[in-house]
Amino acid sequence: MKSLRLLALVLCVPTLAFGGGHEFRGVVHSIESAYGVHHLHIPLLGVALFFVRPQGVSGLKLAVFENFETPTDSDDVRRLVESSLGPGWYPFVRVHSKGDPQGETTLIYASPSGGRLRMMIVNVEASEATVVELNLSDRAIKKWIKEPGEEAENQSGHASHRAHD
Amino acid sequence: MTKTIARKALALVLWLALPALLRAQEIKLPPDVEKLSAKAKETVEVNMDGPMLRWASKFLSSEDPDERKAAKLVANLKGIYVRISEFDKDGAYSADEVEALRSQFRPPVWSRVVGVRSERDGDNVDIFFRLEDEHMTGIVIVAAEAKELTFVNIVGPIEVDQLADLGGEFGIPKLDRKSLSKSVAKVEKGDHK
Repeated sequence: MKSLRLLALVLCVPTLAFGGGHEFRGVVHSIESAYGVHHLHIPLLGVALFFVRPQGVSGLKLAVFENFETPTDSDDVRRLVESSLGPGWYPFVRVHSKGDPQGETTLIYASPSGGRLRMMIVNVEASEATVVELNLSDRAIKKWIKEPGEEAENQSGHASHRAHD
Repeated sequence: MTKTIARKALALVLWLALPALLRAQEIKLPPDVEKLSAKAKETVEVNMDGPMLRWASKFLSSEDPDERKAAKLVANLKGIYVRISEFDKDGAYSADEVEALRSQFRPPVWSRVVGVRSERDGDNVDIFFRLEDEHMTGIVIVAAEAKELTFVNIVGPIEVDQLADLGGEFGIPKLDRKSLSKSVAKVEKGDHK
């Protein structure tokens, strides 16, 4: 019986990974409708995210988009994401690197509430994009407060590597 | 009649909201910073508005005395805005462009308290204080290196001796307490440019 429950949980986790926060779904749907692309279905993504996640992070949700024409102006992405996020989300960190043919933009929004911090991370580079939502632990929050720029670069690197693995 | 009342009500609401609207228009990043960032290979922008800062102040350790001081200071601030631009080669931006940026922070509202020029490294750091009725209400830091330009805007009431406590938090460079105190003393004596 116990193993049956465990199996049911494991089978449900992929749905949980994409379910939950309506803001996350809002951002994903906005990207889908604005750029005519669908996020990838990655089998057992939820299970993978449950076991492989950065320290101090929980409630990880991830959506990956591939092979589409990403906008050249990073402000387009910013406007799109901000229109999908409700009040209570604050622009926190933005990293933009120029590149050939196209650069990379990482936008991070934060929603502080009580003792927790939710973060929405949107990374866009040539022909692909990643949307990540996560909750940070106290320890992780302190790291972000100390070095927000550095953490943003690390986190966007994690997100794109996870997507490529 | 109803229209007139509605118009008057609208005018009253706008009048009441005007101070808040004007505050909202406070410049976080001057256009010159945006112009310089456009030339950069990579830009990192950190924004911490009032609600975020008040929330973040709760997370600075109550055990660490430095962090405790920073928490007290941060809780009263209106915002911290940091822009770091990294360039791929020396001379990607000119000294005149940085000077145009610095020149926006001039007396009587702004006072330059620190100005470091290093001919060897080409590193230039300027710290400007915004003074209103003898109270410090903001700080701008412009740090120009050969391939990197950092602009920091701290908005809100801040005490001189608290300033060094903020270095090392929120991506703000660490500030040397001793040299800062000396520079501030000069400003207080009126010995500044």
